[in-house]
Amino acid sequence: MSVLTSNRAHFFSTSRTHPGAWWLAGLALSLSASLSSNLVALIAISAGAMFIVRLCRDNAPWSRSIRFYLFLGAIVVLLRVIFRVIFNLADATQDVFLTLPSISIDLGIGNSLHLLGSVSFLSIQAALVDGFRLAAIILSIGMANSLANPRKLLRATPGALYEIATAVSIAINLAPQLIASLKQVRRARGLRGHSKGIKALTGIIIPVLEDTIEQSMQLAASMSARGFGRKGNRTHLQLLLTRVSTFLTLTLLTVGVAMLLFSPVQQHVDLMVILAGLVFSAITLKLSSTRTTRTKYIVQRWQLADLFIVISSALILLAAFSGVFSK
Amino acid sequence: MNKLISRISVGVAGLASLLIFTWPLFISTGEQNETLLAQTVFIVLMPLVLILVLIEFATGDISSKHLALLGVLIALNAVIRLLGAGTAGIETAFFLIILGAFVFGSGFGFILGACSILVSALLTGGIGPWLPFQMMGAALVGLGAGLIPRSKRAWLQKVYLVGYAVFASFSYGGLLTMWNWPYLAGTGTQLSYVAGDAIIANLSRFIQYEIVTGGLVWDMGRAITTSMLILLTGTALIATLKRAAIRAGVGREL
Amino acid sequence: MIEIKNLSFSYLNAEGKQKSENPQLNRVNLKIEAGEFVLVCGPTGSGKSTFLQTLNGLAPNFTGGVITGELLINGVDLLGAEPHEFSHLIGYVNQQPEGAFVADLVLDEIVYSAEQLAISKEQIAKDVQRLSRLLGLEDMLDSPLATLSGGQQQRVAIAAALIAGAKVLLLDEPTSALDLQGATEVLTLLQKLAKEEGVSILLAEHRISRVIGSVDSVIVVHGDGLVTKGKPAEQFNDTRFAPPIIELGQKLGWNPLPISTRQAEQLWERAPAAFEPKTINQPSGIVCEVIDLEVTFGLVSAVKKTNLRLFGNQITALMGENGSGKTSLCWAIQGSGTRTSGGVKTSAGDPKSLSVQERLAVTTMVPQRAADLLFLNSLADELHESDTFAKVPAGTTANLFQKLTGRIDTSIHPRDLSAGQQLSLVLALQLVKDAPVLILDEPTRGLDYAAKRALANQLDLLRDEKRSVLLATHDIEFVAMVADRVLVLKEGLIIQDSSPLEVLGHGSELASQVAEVTNEPGLITIGQILK
Repeated sequence: MSVLTSNRAHFFSTSRTHPGAWWLAGLALSLSASLSSNLVALIAISAGAMFIVRLCRDNAPWSRSIRFYLFLGAIVVLLRVIFRVIFNLADATQDVFLTLPSISIDLGIGNSLHLLGSVSFLSIQAALVDGFRLAAIILSIGMANSLANPRKLLRATPGALYEIATAVSIAINLAPQLIASLKQVRRARGLRGHSKGIKALTGIIIPVLEDTIEQSMQLAASMSARGFGRKGNRTHLQLLLTRVSTFLTLTLLTVGVAMLLFSPVQQHVDLMVILAGLVFSAITLKLSSTRTTRTKYIVQRWQLADLFIVISSALILLAAFSGVFSK
Repeated sequence: MNKLISRISVGVAGLASLLIFTWPLFISTGEQNETLLAQTVFIVLMPLVLILVLIEFATGDISSKHLALLGVLIALNAVIRLLGAGTAGIETAFFLIILGAFVFGSGFGFILGACSILVSALLTGGIGPWLPFQMMGAALVGLGAGLIPRSKRAWLQKVYLVGYAVFASFSYGGLLTMWNWPYLAGTGTQLSYVAGDAIIANLSRFIQYEIVTGGLVWDMGRAITTSMLILLTGTALIATLKRAAIRAGVGREL
Repeated sequence: MIEIKNLSFSYLNAEGKQKSENPQLNRVNLKIEAGEFVLVCGPTGSGKSTFLQTLNGLAPNFTGGVITGELLINGVDLLGAEPHEFSHLIGYVNQQPEGAFVADLVLDEIVYSAEQLAISKEQIAKDVQRLSRLLGLEDMLDSPLATLSGGQQQRVAIAAALIAGAKVLLLDEPTSALDLQGATEVLTLLQKLAKEEGVSILLAEHRISRVIGSVDSVIVVHGDGLVTKGKPAEQFNDTRFAPPIIELGQKLGWNPLPISTRQAEQLWERAPAAFEPKTINQPSGIVCEVIDLEVTFGLVSAVKKTNLRLFGNQITALMGENGSGKTSLCWAIQGSGTRTSGGVKTSAGDPKSLSVQERLAVTTMVPQRAADLLFLNSLADELHESDTFAKVPAGTTANLFQKLTGRIDTSIHPRDLSAGQQLSLVLALQLVKDAPVLILDEPTRGLDYAAKRALANQLDLLRDEKRSVLLATHDIEFVAMVADRVLVLKEGLIIQDSSPLEVLGHGSELASQVAEVTNEPGLITIGQILK
């Protein structure tokens, strides 16, 4: 919490911005990357994500994870190129870049594979684009993950996901206790004998499970005694409406996906259906959010900085859709 | 009525998620921009479908007992996964998802599967574009486990559970490899998907990809560890969970 | 405030039928006034918790069972309502606050029930301010719950229970996990809440002596269905759970019974009784020798260089505050715990260097959470497993267990045994290994006075030429009953090694209640007093 009160917290500091804004930005960047086939644009997105993290992160444990994403991105690019060199689809183009001895193997399924062989410049370039695309997606998500406080995000989940968020936050709070409990039980097992081998697993997992179940019932009792389960004035009709809306949403999305895959493109009818599905998702979320009445005492408000983040990432996404990042 | 609509919705969502997982087999257009567009749409749709189904299951009258039990099992799963991680092919999260879903039902299993992966990612920092896909995979494993038939004969029950564990391990592995296939193999290699090609041709390339990248070995490891864990601890764990269910007065309503 | 009429409650048996022949609560009639501070007590397993839980719907909703009668809260009958229907009327705090926390930050935890009841933000803000001032939580509203001490956590739990406007507070053994200071802190606050805020408080507690002085009345849950309410001094005719000073009063026929040390002191001064000297058993030969043992965890030194000899036919108590290194020392001697340097000598060698099986034949131990050792689905299975492991004839463990507790149906699930029975079971499982060194870590935690006396008798039965018992505890009265020798540990060092008469006698920091009351040299436990 000292982070929150620190004077060094600047305009875009993660302690002041809404975690949802960073996740929207991360999603927008990764979608832009996903749509792009331009090596320069992809590298720019990756570098941009890294730069934003450097600029905005606080000294929180989750901020350091960006290194992991960078490492992963590099591995992906490397793998992609190596894969391309080994399993290159032989085509007799002129710009052969590298000629390696060719090996044939048969896996007993499909065509036999011709490994290595001649590698063209274009194919390496294509591999780099593919690799950097995935790396840019990973780094964009990594950016969001490094800048958004996961607990704050959990608290900002919409009302429709309240129960799920509760289960998840119970689990997160419980995990350290469970690790301690596992260690304790494992040590105690040594006092009974049979501490080695796979048979010991039951001897460890059963006491831990018994303890935690007992604990969970205490927790449930505490939640109930403190008002969990009070229903708002939701009517049967409202519930039915929510169910029907969910059904329509999922059907629209499924039909949209099927059209996207199976039918040849006709003026993007498929996208229209999916877009309708997205609109319905919003309605469904709204409907299920209103089914119970609760106060949200601590609300993280959207600041000017958040608005700025969301708008600029929306612009980037729009540019990506209009093909600016394509070749 | 409510229940029926709910079940159909979940079925439709299952279909949608399978399509999204296996799109390289089915995509008919060969144009690169169109493929990229589809791929991008899927990145958004998978988490959306997941969230919709989670809400659908939680929208019933989920009790504080169910929620607390879920919290505990998710935490246990995440911790066990944490301890089992790092050893190739050992997947320690599945057996508890399967057993939990078997005792408490499909809806419980779906939430348990999805959230176990989420929480372990939150604890280890493994959040990435793959997360919604992993969550959906594990959620489907839980969903299916709720449908495992019950038998009074202990040996037969074990056969059912282990049979499902093997099936689920390979399916989960297959679906997730299918997801990373277009990303890691890209296009233009002998192992890449070819948009618009016959399904059989794409499928055989996919299997080659699975073999070459060692995915099958990984799946085998997952199937073996899950089956072993179910055989060793299944009876005791089911008894403990059932006892908890009886004492707490919760059943398979979810 | 609360009025109960003809309230009966029974659990269901395994077949789901009502156990009508012995209801847990039978036709209870009583009233609780606004601002009344009530102690709820009774022997372990008598149903103190159940009684509290019937008042806010947790029983039968969370326990199963059947409830009948009337439960009037502010004149409205709420019998059979779900717990959440009570949350604006009755607050509930249970034994381990950390197990019942829903949030991770103090403020989030406090406002939880107000949020559930959709109370307006302005009202919540007001209540948070009032309660946090009252309970001294103002400085820690933004802190993570995990960083708070036990006493602070319990205060947060109390604030959280009252935030939705409840005027009744149910507390189920709220101080059992706290040290003396934390417990005092919580009790003082409860008194303040009752006096200043008019909150009715029902406090279930088995360490009666801690609270008896502060309460207005006492409810006794007798265990046979009977529940009575009355003034503190009138309520203790049942010795099964009476604290030492009351037991002393009963033994000497004092009337009215003393409820504070002061009263007891005066009564004793007026008519002191004769007592016999405490029997201290003569130790036989050395069974185990600890040489230069040290335990460090990272930078923290838990046990500093320690030398110690344990003898046969001797019960040695290891006392000291929380964190003084008792548990680390126990595990290090047993051989499976961490050791930094030094060793332990026994007839079979150093337990650390032995295999698990061999080690357990030399040093066995009952850990703090005894139930951690139980993992099978029935008592019979546990007993059988133990016989097989110790390679003794079938039924040996069962006989031992029966000797300790009496006959018990072996088809029962081990987790359904009472805390005392679970402890006896684990004790039997460990005794059957016939090791010369038996270590018990905090065995009396969660036991009432009757169960403690039973354990003391059991330990007496275990005295043997070749066996040495090491008992880590901070239960002074229990040590006064059983120990032949007392070690006091402070910051990892043994600072005292002497007879219990010296360590627990009058004027010592660790004086037993009897020693304090009687002020007689050589008298430390009630068992010594002649009628």
